[in-house]
Amino acid sequence: MKRALPSALSALPAALPAWAITAAALTVLVIVNGLLQPGFFDGTVLQSNLTTFLPLVLVAIGQTYVVLAGDIDLSVGAVAALVNVVTVTVIAATGDGPDAILAGLAAGLAVALACGLVNGLLIGVVGLQPMVATFGTAILFSALALRILPQAGLPVPDAYWQTYGGAVLGLPTVLLILLLAIGFVALLARRPFQTWLKAVGGNRGGAFQSGLDLRRIRLSAYLISALFAGFAALCLTGETASGDPLLGQSLGLGSVSAVALGGTLLSGGVGGAAGSILGALLLGMIGNVIFFAGLPFEYQTLVQGLIVLAALAGGVLVARRR
Amino acid sequence: MTGTPETPALPMPAPTPLGPAIEARDIVKRFGAVQALGNGRLTVGRGEIHALLGANGCGKSTLSKIIAGTHAATAGSLLIEGRPVRFATPREAEAAGIALFYQELSLIPPLSVAANIFLGREPRTRAGFIDRTRLRAETEALIALFGDTAGPGLTPDALVADLTPGQRQIVEILKVLSKSPRIVIMDEATAALDARQVAVFFDILRARRAAGVSTVFISHRLDEVFALCDRVTVMRNGETVADLCIADTDQDSVVRLMIGDVRKAGRRTRADRPAAAPLLQADRVGGGRLRDITLAVAPGEILGLGGLQGQGQSALLRGLFGADPLTAGRLRLDGQPVRIRAPADAVARGIAYVSGDRVADAVLAGRSIFENLAAAVLVRERRWRVGAGTLAPRLAGVAASLKTKYAGLDDAIGTLSGGNQQKVFIARWLATGPRLLLLDDPTKGIDLGAKADLFALIRQLADSGVAIILYSSEEAELLDQSDRILVFNGGAVVTELSGPTLDSFHLTRAAYGDAA
Amino acid sequence: MTAPSLSPSGLSTGSRLATLAASPLALALMAIIVLLGLGEMLSPGFARGDQIIRLLTVAALLGIAAAGQNLVILAGGEGIDLSIGAQISFGAIIAGNVMNGSDAAIAHAILAACGATFLVGLVNGLGVTLVRLPPLVMTLGMMAIIQGGLVVFSQGIPSGNAAPALMGFINQPALLGLPGILLAWAVLIVLMGLLLRRTALGFAIYAVGANARAARLVGLPVRAVRTLVYGLSGALAGLTGVFVIGYTGNSFISVGDQYMLPTIIAVVIGGTSLAGGTGGYVGTVAGAIALVLLQSVLTTLHLDFWGRQLIFGGTLLLLLALYGRQTGPRV
Repeated sequence: MKRALPSALSALPAALPAWAITAAALTVLVIVNGLLQPGFFDGTVLQSNLTTFLPLVLVAIGQTYVVLAGDIDLSVGAVAALVNVVTVTVIAATGDGPDAILAGLAAGLAVALACGLVNGLLIGVVGLQPMVATFGTAILFSALALRILPQAGLPVPDAYWQTYGGAVLGLPTVLLILLLAIGFVALLARRPFQTWLKAVGGNRGGAFQSGLDLRRIRLSAYLISALFAGFAALCLTGETASGDPLLGQSLGLGSVSAVALGGTLLSGGVGGAAGSILGALLLGMIGNVIFFAGLPFEYQTLVQGLIVLAALAGGVLVARRR
Repeated sequence: MTGTPETPALPMPAPTPLGPAIEARDIVKRFGAVQALGNGRLTVGRGEIHALLGANGCGKSTLSKIIAGTHAATAGSLLIEGRPVRFATPREAEAAGIALFYQELSLIPPLSVAANIFLGREPRTRAGFIDRTRLRAETEALIALFGDTAGPGLTPDALVADLTPGQRQIVEILKVLSKSPRIVIMDEATAALDARQVAVFFDILRARRAAGVSTVFISHRLDEVFALCDRVTVMRNGETVADLCIADTDQDSVVRLMIGDVRKAGRRTRADRPAAAPLLQADRVGGGRLRDITLAVAPGEILGLGGLQGQGQSALLRGLFGADPLTAGRLRLDGQPVRIRAPADAVARGIAYVSGDRVADAVLAGRSIFENLAAAVLVRERRWRVGAGTLAPRLAGVAASLKTKYAGLDDAIGTLSGGNQQKVFIARWLATGPRLLLLDDPTKGIDLGAKADLFALIRQLADSGVAIILYSSEEAELLDQSDRILVFNGGAVVTELSGPTLDSFHLTRAAYGDAA
Repeated sequence: MTAPSLSPSGLSTGSRLATLAASPLALALMAIIVLLGLGEMLSPGFARGDQIIRLLTVAALLGIAAAGQNLVILAGGEGIDLSIGAQISFGAIIAGNVMNGSDAAIAHAILAACGATFLVGLVNGLGVTLVRLPPLVMTLGMMAIIQGGLVVFSQGIPSGNAAPALMGFINQPALLGLPGILLAWAVLIVLMGLLLRRTALGFAIYAVGANARAARLVGLPVRAVRTLVYGLSGALAGLTGVFVIGYTGNSFISVGDQYMLPTIIAVVIGGTSLAGGTGGYVGTVAGAIALVLLQSVLTTLHLDFWGRQLIFGGTLLLLLALYGRQTGPRV
């Protein structure tokens, strides 16, 4: 049995948590990368790496809450694509001043929440099977994205990507976003809501008998997941500076891998979003190391698959030692 | 952990001055085409402990779930404290002061004890975060109600997954009590508790009664009912057949009301005690919490395992069957050393295991009665083809020998009542022609009629030369059936009872560790 | 429950029919008929014999791959095989290289493709049963490894192509006007039926899926059964790969990717529960045909791509809403 993060820290470390191997692998990769890439620890290089990793980190955080409740959200990639094209289209339609950008961001996030609402209603209220249902809604969201912007293009104003690539309040924007996300994770972990999510994922019948409103809890998880997919889309928009209806296709399964690497049980009930951040960073670092090790790009998928399975297998074996 | 000696007793809500606590009139409940409840009536006074009795499938669980808001009634009226109500969710019933103890546990294994007890009602800080200090203190105060009978490891931060079944049941009880209800429904709340825990639990209920709390008490143990309750309502086949004052009745009358006719198992004649060579011998086996257990069982013998609940009886049976392999000691079958590392090894040697935990250990959910019956035969006989043609009549014959009631072999197993399901799972093993039958509390939660059928058959099997090891949480069953009883305490055998010592006095004394 | 014991067949014919009408299989069959009618209305000739055979050929490719997915899902334990698409590509590339246009090497190609993918499937199974990785991530990781491996070892351009006889088997009538692949599919349907209904292995797959703990307690080899279904899923994906290269003539690295999610959908709309233990292959066959028909009807609509996708996604959700609903909280 794995322990919840806070109680494991307050109690004696009797057993290594399931994400220990992920943390160890991440440390190794950071060291290897530091050796391979001169100036890896420079501020600008770290910032550019974080820029690359941030979207998956955000999506993985949102995915965690859905998975904790015993569900899954495979539509996050399509949500990100839809948010991206809505944002760039709204900005283009309302001029290119700061107001237009804010309108675009707001429209994008509103669309994200609408997507989450659709998922949450179909799964939490109508009762569709989560994996197949979110695959179905992903098809719908992608279709809408293609309707709104048939081809990649429609650049955003300079102010958008300059702010994203620059700094706010003296901190690099990407770092600020990461810190805000971590803050959200830490606050939510102390709310009853996260316990309820685990209850719904740990024993759905028991949670119902305990008087929890399963529909509202599962719906809320899908809203959070979609919202974070929306944040990720806004970050991707800042990185690519344009719209792309096919963007983010690897985010769905990638975020599930990150969540699993972070020690959250895919069957629900056990885990937390802090581990998922580590998992997402690990996945990102693998690509980095392959690049700087001079291996052809084609190796990336192969090595990523191997490392994910090795880290997860290691995590399972470590947790079982107890 | 802050010491909280000043923690006040749980607040008791003041009763409102109208009508009886519960008045259920002519309740009807249908699930699709099946009528679970035809005419459910129940009246429970203020500050009364009221027993609700009936054979399995009589509708008492359905009725209590309607009162607690888990099910909606198809027809009929329900008055709580004189006010007509219609609950759509458990939460609405809870708001009306009703709390139900669930026969199927409502706990969340990966969450802590404290999180489970206050699930959905967590004490919060002003910022809306969980108030961990208060959560822990209130949980500790609740656990203290059970005092030292709670056993080691039952702390607010312990994960429910790591608790013993008895401790989980205590947590479930504490969860109900933590809601400070005015009306409590305890559905089989004592099934996994040992005698000391039951005694403490009853004291708690009596203290609540003194404070005006009404309790509906559902149990298969009549002695408990008569020790605790003020009144009793008896149900049969979805209808309420009697509402009596406990003082005006006796166990035999109640049993007659429940099943119509009483079948009392006669005591086994000890004269024909078999003197055959032992079939199975265990020599100082151990593993998990089991220590140094030595026993032998001969063909035709029924060996009982006694003692308080959770002292290693089930662990031994599961160990002998290879379900949780034994790590120390030696086993001999027919005098030959054997190693049983998995159930498959045991099955291959003609050993059968019937668990009382049907849902977890036996039901192939969603599959047909035929498949549920055939499971063990297919493995035992190493068949690779499943021809229903020859197998079906054979299995139907075995099921009939247990008086199993069902409509058709192709119906889903879920259409049967608990008692009939258990008969299917026993028939599953009988069809393999076992030489050694391991019975792990096989009658848990099944009705009296089914129990009588089972024990009649078990005796018949023993007479035909099958060796049987029986663990039962009901003392009377154990004493009625066993030729000898090994009494367990703390994972070890403390004494063996046979002949003149085979009675409830010696059994109870040994179970509490006073064996001379 | 109160019926006299041992009446041979309890339910009345009427209620059996009612149950059947509400079954996923019946709904999938109805969907097939409606879609055929719709297609014929929109584009006369849609339901012509040769058109139907062409559609069934496409459905056969999906259906054969979905048979493996079906077994994995039936055996429960959150079982799912996301590596099926990559394994189809793998099988197609192996078969293409072994045949390299030669009819004489077809048998070898089938053996090599199915053998290799069977082994890969067993690795999936061992990862799930021995290492106890969640099936979703195990097979997802395997998908990445196969896809990456194919790219690395073929340098992106796989060599090899199909033998003419294999292409004929898939694309030309062999018997009664039906191409060989449909006959092969019919044989597979019969074999799957026998496996699931008449053999101890099929019985064990259902039992393990319905309650693994209970299955172990009657002595069934739970891990072996679960490992084996992944192996079978791999082999069936490999076989699909051979047929896919026969259908297209040559292969490319991601030729099988498009099959991965449709196999799951075909299984689910065919009435097999993702929780395992209930369902069967006939429903999956109907699901695969319905899925291919739907795609085909949408193509005849002359809609933009996004419009077709919108209707496809919507129909999928509608089908799920009709009968793929979870039965609510287990109370």
